[in-house]
Amino acid sequence: MQLLIQQIVDGLAAGAIYAALALALVLIFGATRIVNFGQSEIATFCAFLAWQLCEWGMPIALALAVSAILAFVLGAALFQLVVRPVSRASVETVVVVTLGLFLAFQALCLWLWGADQRTFPALFPAGGWIVAGVRLTAYNMGVLGVLCALALSLAALFRFTRLGLGLRAAAADVDKSTIVGIRVDGMLMLGWGLASVVGFVAAVLVAPRLFLSPIMMAPVLVYALAAATLGGWTSAIGAVVGGLLIGVAESVGATFLPFIGSELRLLIPLALTLAVLLLRPQGLFGQQMAVRV
Amino acid sequence: MNTLRPTSTTRLVSVRYDGLVPYTLVMLVVVLLPLLLPNFLLMQVSTALTFALAILGLNLLLGFAGQVCLAQGALFACGAYTTAILVAQGGWPALATLPVAAIVTALAGIVIGLPALRLGGLQLAIVTFGVAVLTPQLILKFDRLTRGVTGITFDPPAPPTWLPLGPDLWLYALCVVATAVCTVLALRMTRGDSGRALQALRDNPLVATSLGVDLVRTRLAAFAISSAFAGLGGGLFAILNGYVSPQSFLAGRSIEILIGAIVGGIGSVSGAFLGALFVVFVPEWTAELSPALGGLIYGVCLIVLMLVARDGLVGLAKRATPVMFLLARKGLTSRPATTAPASHQNQEISS
Repeated sequence: MQLLIQQIVDGLAAGAIYAALALALVLIFGATRIVNFGQSEIATFCAFLAWQLCEWGMPIALALAVSAILAFVLGAALFQLVVRPVSRASVETVVVVTLGLFLAFQALCLWLWGADQRTFPALFPAGGWIVAGVRLTAYNMGVLGVLCALALSLAALFRFTRLGLGLRAAAADVDKSTIVGIRVDGMLMLGWGLASVVGFVAAVLVAPRLFLSPIMMAPVLVYALAAATLGGWTSAIGAVVGGLLIGVAESVGATFLPFIGSELRLLIPLALTLAVLLLRPQGLFGQQMAVRV
Repeated sequence: MNTLRPTSTTRLVSVRYDGLVPYTLVMLVVVLLPLLLPNFLLMQVSTALTFALAILGLNLLLGFAGQVCLAQGALFACGAYTTAILVAQGGWPALATLPVAAIVTALAGIVIGLPALRLGGLQLAIVTFGVAVLTPQLILKFDRLTRGVTGITFDPPAPPTWLPLGPDLWLYALCVVATAVCTVLALRMTRGDSGRALQALRDNPLVATSLGVDLVRTRLAAFAISSAFAGLGGGLFAILNGYVSPQSFLAGRSIEILIGAIVGGIGSVSGAFLGALFVVFVPEWTAELSPALGGLIYGVCLIVLMLVARDGLVGLAKRATPVMFLLARKGLTSRPATTAPASHQNQEISS
């Protein structure tokens, strides 16, 4: 029982990271109906920027803040330069563009910083607590806390501010939003910038757990895609719940199903997603979509 | 279908080119390539042809059936491993394994296609991508059959004694024949009523089924044929290399095939070949250009290409051909114009 609870807690922490990246994916999908395969690598690039700033002697908090701003600018700039020109093209074209982003940013990180693994400065203290025999590390709690803060602040932004209303309107209907005076392009750009920041947060959370390396986020991307699909692409809550579910299922499944072991870990999120989709094709929280990929 | 394509330029061009000219040109290139290229490059062309098979399969699925399958690399692996296992452990002759590879992969494709009966495009894409990521792990897991990380090595088939061909040329010929067969099959499938049924299903499943298209059968058949192509390509890939290992079938392979299909041009058979050549040769060229920056250049190349040619290389070529013709005609008409003053001068001198 203790082992089970322990696995659930660890799974939640891993799932929080998947959820963060899934949030970024869902933000972009909601705004522009695009699945941004490059998200993870853009996030890695920004995490590397933060690391580089730290290496140059900047305090970590300031380095993170500066990188977050840079991530926002980068996301917005990518939308303007690369995505907007193809936003009316067929889905396949957009897919290749975002795959190109993935390849380009991964290669850029490799070129600038090499394939070596770097140690990212610790964000949370190393200690932890033991509650009823279950080990709660400060890192795990910190990751969950950051995810909660992220999800709540995004929810507040979309729900209670005029800006959030504009963002939602621009995503829902381009033409009608333009008619009522919303700068749709500006809003979509903002959406991409925001998503880039959210992805950056995910990368910063991953980096101390493993090491900072150009390929660290690629596996997370697979989980995040599964999480976003599980939750339904149109819902931010879905992305969070999907991420956490997948984290827990993976952690518990890999421990308690002897056949799975460490090699087939990935089978669990896949099977879970497939099972849910077969029962509910639009995902847990998704609305029935009329788009075709 | 042709009546639905009102643009006059494409009609003209297609009329002008639908004769025997393209076929003769292709034949000429196929025969000339081995004479012109060094062996190493010829092997790469053969590799590109095996990819072209997988891309052709995906093209049918994506362009005509409207189904996204990102597990094409996994199916490619399935074909390759079927061939390798049968040759190395079953002692089969390599050529005899190819149909088996195609059939086994077609069955695997039907299994992957089952969720497609219910899932939408995006969901199906993600699930099949999961299969692609899982493939190397599965190969490792069943290491008794697949020999795990070490992979399977076997001898590539020797050319028959009555044929005066080198081994590389023989493998090239094999790839060409297999590709030709599949191309004819693909063309047969996309034209006529089966092609129309596929496209109807893609454009509106509800209307298509009410008009009597069997959704389950047609969709699964599309998956089976597309997978069979991928499996055949995989089998040939294994024979070409004489070696298979999980490293050759990482998730990147599926992405590569997808990129090839889209860059070449979805819904066109010749696009599959252009796409295959693109994904085999362009990354190598960019890596040669600059070993450190190769990946970056390749990524930027992809983005720029999509910004310039949304409908892929085939679309670009279609749009470029009339322009080229115009330019050529201009060149022809301007040449007399430049020579005319000269003759005039001559006249003056003579007078």
